[in-house]
Amino acid sequence: MSVEIRNLNITIGSKPIVHDIDMDIADGERVGLVGSSGSGKSMIAKALMGLLPANASADGSVRAGGAQLIGANDTDMADLRGRYMGMVFQNPAAALNPVTTVAQQVELPLRLHYDLSAPERQERVKTMLSKVGLPESALGKYPHELSGGQAQRVGIATALITSPRLIIADEPTTALDAITQRQIVDLLTSLVDDAGASMLFITHDFAVLARATTRCYVLEDGAMVESGATADLLDHPHTEQARKLVAAARELTLHRQEAEVHHG
Amino acid sequence: MATLRVTLRVILRSMWRRAGGRYSLIVLGLWVLVSLVSLVWTPYSLLATDGFHVWSKPSAAHPLGTDGVGADVLSWLMAGSRTNLIIAALSVIVAAAFGLLLVAAMVSRHGALSAVSVVLVDALISVPTVLVALILCVPFGASAAVIVAACGFAYGLNLARILRPSAMLAARSAYVQSALHSGMPAARVFLTHIVPNTLPVLVVQLSMSAGTSILAEAGLTYLGIGVGAGVPSWGHSLATSVKFVGIYPLTVLWPGLVVTAVVVALNLLGDALRDAADPLANPALRGGQDER
Repeated sequence: MSVEIRNLNITIGSKPIVHDIDMDIADGERVGLVGSSGSGKSMIAKALMGLLPANASADGSVRAGGAQLIGANDTDMADLRGRYMGMVFQNPAAALNPVTTVAQQVELPLRLHYDLSAPERQERVKTMLSKVGLPESALGKYPHELSGGQAQRVGIATALITSPRLIIADEPTTALDAITQRQIVDLLTSLVDDAGASMLFITHDFAVLARATTRCYVLEDGAMVESGATADLLDHPHTEQARKLVAAARELTLHRQEAEVHHG
Repeated sequence: MATLRVTLRVILRSMWRRAGGRYSLIVLGLWVLVSLVSLVWTPYSLLATDGFHVWSKPSAAHPLGTDGVGADVLSWLMAGSRTNLIIAALSVIVAAAFGLLLVAAMVSRHGALSAVSVVLVDALISVPTVLVALILCVPFGASAAVIVAACGFAYGLNLARILRPSAMLAARSAYVQSALHSGMPAARVFLTHIVPNTLPVLVVQLSMSAGTSILAEAGLTYLGIGVGAGVPSWGHSLATSVKFVGIYPLTVLWPGLVVTAVVVALNLLGDALRDAADPLANPALRGGQDER
């Protein structure tokens, strides 16, 4: 599903959070959104989902698949969420309801949006679990019995079970270790490509960005400062802010690689 | 459906394994059983009085003795158990419905609604249960319904107050966000994602409310604003005999013992149920134990 954002402004109270954002995601494209903490990345995702905090207001234009999302009513947005748009969260363990099993968790969007019988739903959940590389025995498990990587696999399964046309991944790998990060990013990108869906990948980790996206936007203090092909941007950042981010990420990645070498 | 039955069996078995849980299951089981039996059979009719044997000691004919009009104490206690069972059950249902409604308002994303409801609960919680019952008594007269309404009101407010922090924690959690992102309506998110995560607190609070409602029934009936005259209840049995406690202590002892045993059982039930029904606390509830 294509996304077209024009002149998006979000304010909380009287404080501007993001201003004059223009952004495009083509059908089947994987686009990154980078920026330091507090730059307003997550607010753009929330605006796309129609789940801005009650005290926030947005104006401008956000179109997904041709439909205008700014000012859309709650019923329409609820139908769009989960069915056409899926969300993968930063902290997988916290994004799973502690008192529901993996099976209940993953089938929830199906129950909400599709009129399927229980066996049909179970069948789909099983297929989805095998796609994200979880054993069938995981079905009856509760979130606290899963490792971080397993929990994120469940999160991905929940986001993708309804075959949405747009996936929004909000720092899906930040809470995971380096090796699991790589596995999760590869899993996510391959599933999104298989489904032919578009993806907005939010992160502040450039190493992950290069793996997950082909094009990206750099956000700083609520303004879009740079955009372009991910590989180009990493090699030749044009603006000062992007250069800083890339340099910081390089350093971090180097440190991490050193640490991995030292620890075996 | 089958899985629900399995879960129930696991919970009951886990409760049975704890001494407190076993005691509460036995006492509450007896309570329900006696209530049912009393509908069709009591040793004596409740209206049967024996003017020649008032305040009699326990005997083969009257295992717990007789009261001031020569009625069988055991029969009245048996019949009273069903009144108290109904009052306790209805009080809990009313308190749960009222309390959860308040909690829903308190954790709502609409700032004004949550602020007003918090203030409202804090203000109303200061009104004593007895006062509520007294006020309700004026237009409606003394009845079990007044006890249920007063208890439901007071315990609902208490429940809301105590549940708010854990409900708030759940409401602000990522999994509630995730459910909203899946397109689930807010009311359903509240019932399926927020309420179940407050269950440990909810269960304990509701079972204690059930116990307190029995004490409230006894107290209000003693004051003359509880169940009507001639309606069997444990409070009624206590109220009619407590004036003579110095002379005939046994007739006070029996209802007192029953009330104590049941209230203790209800308080223990909450603890046992919390430990047994929480998948985090009870490993037996978890599926797929074959791995890890």
